[in-house]
Amino acid sequence: MKKAGIKIENLHLSFGETEVLNGVSLEIKPGEFFAFLGPSGSGKSTLLRAIAGFGPKPKGRIMIGNKDILGLDPWKRNIGMVFQSYALWPHMTVRNNVGFGLRERKLPSKLIKTKVDAALDLVDLSHLADRMPNQLSGGQQQRIALARTIVVEPEVLLLDEPLSNLDASLRVQMRRELLRLQRQLGLTTIFVTHDQEEANTTSDRMAVLDGGVIQQIGSPQELYDKPSNLFVANFLGTANILEGKIEILGNNKRFLTKTGDSLSLSEGSSTVGNYIILRPQNISINHKKSKNSLPGKVRHSEFLGSQIRYIVTAGGTEIVIDQSHRAGQDWFANGTDVHLLVNTSTAVVI
Amino acid sequence: MKHTIYASIATLALTASGAMADEKITVITSFPDSMTGPIEAAFETAHPEFDLEILNKKTSAGVKYIQEIAGANTADIFWASAPDAFEVLKNDNLLADVSVTSEGIPELIGSYPLNDPDGFYYGFAGAGYGIMWNERYLAANNLQPAKEWAELAQPEYHGHVGMSAPSRSGTTHLTVETLLQGEGWDNGWAKWKRIAGNFSTVTERSFGVPDGVNTGNFGLGIVIDFFGFSSKASGFPVDFAYPTITALVPANVAVVAEAPNSEGAVMFIEYLLTPEGQAVLLNPAIMRLPINPATYVNAPEGFPNPFKDSTIGAAVEFDVAKSGSRYNLVNSMFDVMITYRLDDLRDAVGAIQAAEALHADGSNTKATALIAEAWALIDANPIDEAKSLDADFAGIFTKKRKKVTDKVGERQAEVEQRWDAMVVANYASAKELANQAAGM
Amino acid sequence: MPQNPYILKGHADRLAKWLVPNLSAIHLVAVFIALLLIGLLLVPVAQVMIVAFQDASTGAATLQNFIDFFQTSLFRESFWNSFYVSAMSVVVATAIALPLAYITTRFHFSGSILIQSLGFIPLIMPPFVGAVAMQLIFGRNGTINLIIREKFGFDIPFMNGLNGVILVQSIHYFPFILINLSASLRNIDRSMEEAAQNLGSHGLRLFRRIVFPLAMPGYIAGAALVFIKVFDDLGTPLLLNVNNMLAPQAFLRISSIGISDPMGYVISVILVIFSILSLWASFLFMRGKDYTTVQKGGGGMAKRILKTREKFLSYGVVIFILLLVLSPHIGLLLLSFGTIWSYAPLPDGYTLQNYVTMWESSKTFITNTILYASIAATLDVIVGTAIAYIVLRTGIFGRKGLDYLATAALAIPGVVLGIGYLRTFHNLDVPFTNEPMASWWVIIALALMIRRLPYALRACTAALQQVSISLEEAAESLGATKRRTIQKIVIPLMAGGILAGFVTSFATAAVELSATIMLVSSNNDAPLAYGIYLFMQTPSGRGAGAALGIVAVIVVAIGTIASQVIIERNKKIKSTGDSH
Repeated sequence: MKKAGIKIENLHLSFGETEVLNGVSLEIKPGEFFAFLGPSGSGKSTLLRAIAGFGPKPKGRIMIGNKDILGLDPWKRNIGMVFQSYALWPHMTVRNNVGFGLRERKLPSKLIKTKVDAALDLVDLSHLADRMPNQLSGGQQQRIALARTIVVEPEVLLLDEPLSNLDASLRVQMRRELLRLQRQLGLTTIFVTHDQEEANTTSDRMAVLDGGVIQQIGSPQELYDKPSNLFVANFLGTANILEGKIEILGNNKRFLTKTGDSLSLSEGSSTVGNYIILRPQNISINHKKSKNSLPGKVRHSEFLGSQIRYIVTAGGTEIVIDQSHRAGQDWFANGTDVHLLVNTSTAVVI
Repeated sequence: MKHTIYASIATLALTASGAMADEKITVITSFPDSMTGPIEAAFETAHPEFDLEILNKKTSAGVKYIQEIAGANTADIFWASAPDAFEVLKNDNLLADVSVTSEGIPELIGSYPLNDPDGFYYGFAGAGYGIMWNERYLAANNLQPAKEWAELAQPEYHGHVGMSAPSRSGTTHLTVETLLQGEGWDNGWAKWKRIAGNFSTVTERSFGVPDGVNTGNFGLGIVIDFFGFSSKASGFPVDFAYPTITALVPANVAVVAEAPNSEGAVMFIEYLLTPEGQAVLLNPAIMRLPINPATYVNAPEGFPNPFKDSTIGAAVEFDVAKSGSRYNLVNSMFDVMITYRLDDLRDAVGAIQAAEALHADGSNTKATALIAEAWALIDANPIDEAKSLDADFAGIFTKKRKKVTDKVGERQAEVEQRWDAMVVANYASAKELANQAAGM
Repeated sequence: MPQNPYILKGHADRLAKWLVPNLSAIHLVAVFIALLLIGLLLVPVAQVMIVAFQDASTGAATLQNFIDFFQTSLFRESFWNSFYVSAMSVVVATAIALPLAYITTRFHFSGSILIQSLGFIPLIMPPFVGAVAMQLIFGRNGTINLIIREKFGFDIPFMNGLNGVILVQSIHYFPFILINLSASLRNIDRSMEEAAQNLGSHGLRLFRRIVFPLAMPGYIAGAALVFIKVFDDLGTPLLLNVNNMLAPQAFLRISSIGISDPMGYVISVILVIFSILSLWASFLFMRGKDYTTVQKGGGGMAKRILKTREKFLSYGVVIFILLLVLSPHIGLLLLSFGTIWSYAPLPDGYTLQNYVTMWESSKTFITNTILYASIAATLDVIVGTAIAYIVLRTGIFGRKGLDYLATAALAIPGVVLGIGYLRTFHNLDVPFTNEPMASWWVIIALALMIRRLPYALRACTAALQQVSISLEEAAESLGATKRRTIQKIVIPLMAGGILAGFVTSFATAAVELSATIMLVSSNNDAPLAYGIYLFMQTPSGRGAGAALGIVAVIVVAIGTIASQVIIERNKKIKSTGDSH
């Protein structure tokens, strides 16, 4: 299958008066598994559908390979889309569903049969070829929807929240399946989700959207470790945000919190910003004070299985600390005065 | 609140089932509300102690109804146009022999006796049959009014004529029977079929004919006279004429045997014969020929007076007994040969008329022969007059449910089916012959 | 201490226990309703069926009548004609409804209000009333043909024979198809269409392969309903003078030959069987094809904005159909205000006299109508509510049977019910009087009640389904008996639906003709519809008949609007309640 890259340039889209996509630009490399991540209403589905050609016509450019497809009708774009509801046609058999696109392309029926069989084989559902969609389970329907799109050999594959209608256990299995399939076919794929775990575990790179604006683009790790704004920091994982200002004393960079605590900053950290982001697993909770520590009081603790989560009042706010749980270990009781040792090499200043 | 509802429902129920205070006279009639209404109003004003309850039924349905309730009769009066319906009831002993006093009523209307000589039923108005036409329609189609039956068979009237069927209308039945008696069985039927070949439609009820002429749906209609008069009086651009072959027949009223209120019934009949009662007949919605000659003084301009103009209704002496004996049979024949096969008949006659037009000069003898043959096929009847008067055969066409197992000969459906097959074949052949002739 | 809700209290319950120890009051109600339905529906129809299979003179069981029927060409023709007219009415109705449904669901069409009203206007004109008016406008020498003949020299046989029936019926019934088709188009999950577009399909191909098959079940439901209603209708062919169809033949045989004529019964059996077959066939087709459950979303198809040329075309189509649909109304209005209308495009002159005449002579018709329709509608909602409660809330044996029996009335044509009543009540007398029951006005009201019961039942069932059972359980756990719960909780909550059902029942019963025309024996007992029929039988009466027809239209219109308003208001109350 041909690999095509996707380039979106300064896309604007409005529903009536409301602006839904505000100057979106991004580039997806050929063969990449790319995620659009964001809360509901962020514009991620709208962006996906705009690429497919559904919804009001946007302004800007959408390039697939070298072609600007913005003005093309959906049926003229060679893009495959799997819908959230799978959209299998209930009045057709599985075989006819899968073969639909090929029939539209007027391929000879023998060829259609071969290709359909191959596609069904790829998703391991050849034995269901003559069933009706209402006889299939959720997971099976999803795979058929996938087969239906793959069989026409599109340049790009779009997946609109494909896993959200499955139960939790199936989701994990299916996302691994999806990734495996994608690697096998090498299709450039965009995967829309609101679930960061899905995005983290499958995508090569992702874009976080909020309010129709791209917040940050990068690999899951980059976005997690180096969020470029508070939204991304908060959206991916839990973020402890301390407000304050930067103090530079010679070679020493320090972050002074509102409550007067001072944290040293590493060499490479940014010196511009009013916030510092600390991840829960990068803070340790101690009885003893140390050089880079914040004093605080334990307010609440939760047992999360592999972690113990402490909520500690410190630095003028509530800090979340995750500590690995080992059997037999002592807990810090509520109300205990503690010191939080911060690993500032992982802290991010925004 | 609930109690009030129960109370009011109860009151409604009681009042709706009829006023209890006045004496009730139950009348079974085929006359429409537009006629019974004014008469009822006039009667109840003259005799406030009575309340007329009108049950409206078509003539044949009315006869059936009286036959069916005969065991526990609740009807007082039977009031309808066709004397033969009264004959049927008289023969079944379902009418009461009463004496009625009246003044100034002659013995005959036209050549027809007004009252049953045995005193079972009485005439109260006269009616004749004729042709009604829409002046605008005729003008638009360049046609002249037809004044005689034979004229209606002429080619220029093809598709412009309407009529009801004798099975659906007592008055139409009389019209058909009158022509059959006046022209003879075979000639009469032939005439009817040729006229029917010009039909636009056979209407469901006798009123459908004047209605069709009034609205201009078709141009000419074969109707009972008062339909023509009342339509004209209502303002429609129509006119009416009596052909020479017509019968003036009385419309009748009788007291039903074992009537619950025979006194009241007699009073009603007597009222109809008073000058007052007769005058109501001239009401524009009614327009029936009064039988008291004195009433005509108040008649509108142009209203016919059979007592002055002796040509009206004199040509045919209507034999009621004959009519009664073959009543259902004639109904059946008309329906089978004409009503149900109207399209076929119309097509065949149309084709013959077209062929005739082409060979008007008669020079092509072959064609003329074919045309004559075609006409013969149209005119052909499944039975002759003798058979029609054969009581056993005519008896097949009675629909009464007999208690005794006594099937006579074939059943009606079978006979009708045979006749139907015959006419379908005949009409088709006639059409073919005509087309052949036209081709020559 | 709270009382055990399963201990029955109250007079009705105690009476029930005394009479029949093991039955509760509700059981008694169920039995009573069953008897009512059996006596007023099952027995008359069964009578009709039986007579058809009896020899007319001996009473022995036989198939001879049916053989006679099929051997008589007139009846075969009538059978075929009824079938043909019904099928063609569906076709023409679809032709009218399809473009309208497509326009409203596919485009942002600013004239949508117009289309919605198109779905309402035809239904308020009883078809037999509209028939006369259509004759004046579309007839052989009606308005349109007179004008066309003058300008172009030919005419169009709109109203010739069967065509007239088809035209009148399709214009009257197409809303059924429009509403059903629009609803199923709107229920299509948008992603169904988008998935097809994504795979390369669009336009007519898309419509044919994806959209229409998915909308099919809704369409079939509407089409089957139209088919049956046209097949069973008596009034329209009668007033158009078309006799070679099944329903008019049955009427004519019984009314002119008498209730002893077997053919009327044979035709009745055929009408009933065919109705049931059609209902069953549509049900069969729908089963297994309920696509709504498989589709997750709804959203309908994506709506496009109309291009100018398309806008022009759409408005053109809608206005053309609007004129067509309004033609009976316009015709009737003209006739009611007209002086003489004869062989002319329009009446000669205009007057108010017809309304005066109508008013003077129709008071009985109107009061009778109000009486009959009120009784019918009241009984309908009472029985409907009772059956709905029994079916949805109790486990009484045979409750489904009650539901089916009441709904079965849909398959019984009015003319058959009328014949059945004549036959069944023929030899019975009204209690305490000498009057034969068959001519007692009450059976007209009862016939109307039975005919409208399926609709009322549906309304009451829908209303009850919206009342959550936990509301009743809460009341009972606080000590209310079943009877008080029904009285104080259930019925008030159903009130909107019941009222809507009452109003619809009333409005449609007020203009029913098929059963009425068989059962009216005296003009004093005649309701509106019969009154119109009578007026149309005299030369001077047409104007007044048209005026009375306008009254009928207004009655039905008010009823329909009122019922809609009540339902809407009810919905609002429910939804504001839920949001708290």
